Amino acid sequence: MLDTKRLQILTESAKYDVSCSSSGSKRSNKEGGIGNASVGGICHSFTPDGRCISLLKILLSNDCIYNCEYCPNRADANVERATTTPDEICELVINFYKRNYIEGLFLSSAVFKTPNHTMELLLQTVIKLRKVYNFNGYIHLKGIPHADGELMLQAAKYVDRMSYNIELPSEKSLKLLAPQKTKNSLIEPMKRLQNAMLYDKENKIKVNKSIPAGQTTQMIIGASPERDGQILRLTEALYRKMQLKRVYYSSYLPVVQSPILPTKPAGLLREHRLYQADWLIRFYGFEVSEICDEYENLSQEFDPKCFWALKNMQYFPIEVNKAPLEMLLRVPGIGAKGAFKIVEARKFCALDFENLKKMRIVLKRAKHFITCKGKFYGANNLSQVKYCLMLEEKSKSCEQLSLFSTADTALSALTGEL
Amino acid sequence: MKIFITDGSLKCFYTAVFYAYKYNGCIITSNKSVQLSFDSQVQMVHTEKDKSERVCSKIRQIDELVEDEIALVLRSADPLKEQIAFEYIKLLIKQNRPIRNILSNPTVLEMNEIRQQVAKEIHNMHGFLRFMETAQGIMYAPYSPDNDITDLICHHFIRRFKSLKFVIHDLKRKKAVIYDGCNWFLTEVGEAEIYLSEYEKTFETLWKRYYKSVNIANRPHEKQMKGFMPVRYWKFLPEKKDN
Repeated sequence: MLDTKRLQILTESAKYDVSCSSSGSKRSNKEGGIGNASVGGICHSFTPDGRCISLLKILLSNDCIYNCEYCPNRADANVERATTTPDEICELVINFYKRNYIEGLFLSSAVFKTPNHTMELLLQTVIKLRKVYNFNGYIHLKGIPHADGELMLQAAKYVDRMSYNIELPSEKSLKLLAPQKTKNSLIEPMKRLQNAMLYDKENKIKVNKSIPAGQTTQMIIGASPERDGQILRLTEALYRKMQLKRVYYSSYLPVVQSPILPTKPAGLLREHRLYQADWLIRFYGFEVSEICDEYENLSQEFDPKCFWALKNMQYFPIEVNKAPLEMLLRVPGIGAKGAFKIVEARKFCALDFENLKKMRIVLKRAKHFITCKGKFYGANNLSQVKYCLMLEEKSKSCEQLSLFSTADTALSALTGEL
Repeated sequence: MKIFITDGSLKCFYTAVFYAYKYNGCIITSNKSVQLSFDSQVQMVHTEKDKSERVCSKIRQIDELVEDEIALVLRSADPLKEQIAFEYIKLLIKQNRPIRNILSNPTVLEMNEIRQQVAKEIHNMHGFLRFMETAQGIMYAPYSPDNDITDLICHHFIRRFKSLKFVIHDLKRKKAVIYDGCNWFLTEVGEAEIYLSEYEKTFETLWKRYYKSVNIANRPHEKQMKGFMPVRYWKFLPEKKDN
């Protein structure tokens, strides 16, 4: 059985992986089996940093042959090493699952001995879980770069989601900071997984589908010089061309001393702004080009939606009772749920400010950009609007800056909100 | 004023709606400690299947989702739940079309709010319920939810655990769902005497260590943790109950 000491080492090595989502898969239980996947995802606990625990997030080994500059587990680092076995992991998963501690497994590993050896161990673990332990809960498997493609495709048949971390936002930075990982060793497997999913879709394969919950990726922000504009263009391409389910950003923390790494953390505000922009691209119908120029960073002062609206005041104010959904989605302060509620509710009668308040739509920011039955309650001119919004943002950020999360990262903490 | 008192069941509520519908300004409640005014006439309602079915089929015709919504709302701990559901039915019949999106109407807003509260606790409990293994290999989960949801959450665990036997015990309402790997039933259970399996302690310790290790200690955000995982649920969570 896995002892507490190794569990601690292997968990602490895995904890900087951002993804924890258990959503997107409808895997059902089988006769004599245990577990199923819940399509919306389920959070089982929350840690004092405000993040959710949905999956048992653990490394098979933190004993790495690679020397990625930013990684606390790199080969040259002087840290305690631990390795576990497929059986030990299976036993832990089943017993945690039975007690309803977790929704499934998020298994990753350092590159232990060779990429293929590592991938084989990971594959063994997931096959054992599915076939010997009859486990039908959620499994997220991290891919090992440079491992044999066939091993990866085989694993994809057993797990719900896979992810290859692209690590850094450009090939140049990858070469500098993670010299043993190449762009191809990360992008190629992502493409092959995408093709495997497309194949299943075209051939209407329903049983043993490859990664039914799709793939995700993660990159470190602020360890290298790329601007937000570049990062977001990469993100958009990953969503539109690679059909990724999520791109996660992890703001750089200097855990490792190195002459080629910044000494300061990237800051949570930057990560937060990127997530806000990411949300606008996925759910609000924005193009990257509207949000941020390629070699610019996002505004620190205003959230990206406010920033866009302030630059495009010619479209505002809009009348909430008439504006199309696409425009409602562009009003600062009105979220996706709020916009849908308005569209439904206004079919019955024209809405005024009181109605919106009672529908729990926050008007602090929105009031500068909308009219209700022709009435406007916002500030009179652009500079006043800016001033009000800035105050609003400041009062929020005093609380938030020192902390981990804000509205959107709060959302990302919820597994249910993919 | 007329006050109809139900036994708290769904059918009894619909029977009460049948009788109360013709009166203006009457009250339906299952709350026996209801405050009475001088002119109140109390009527105890007994379930009548045919009356209850007539109300159901009427509202079903207008909106086929409304029965499920009402079933959920009646599980709430809100003392006004029957009254709000009654007002909602009256509005539904008056409008003669689905009304859940008339968000300018206070009855609809109240109804939606209670429904969402109950639905949210059901979802939360799918995650926060904790089982322990007994010496006989039965999984036992004590909890004390705000709303009466034990027989609503058990289906999730039946699908999930299949042949694993379990008991979900609502300590507040002294009732439990018992599942023997095949069939389930709801029954009254006051106190349960539990002998834990010899492995229970080991896995609980591993879980606590996991919980501690996965936290990023230099990014504290207690407020968010408590927002997502209310403190009143903590006493049943092994990872939280010691602090």
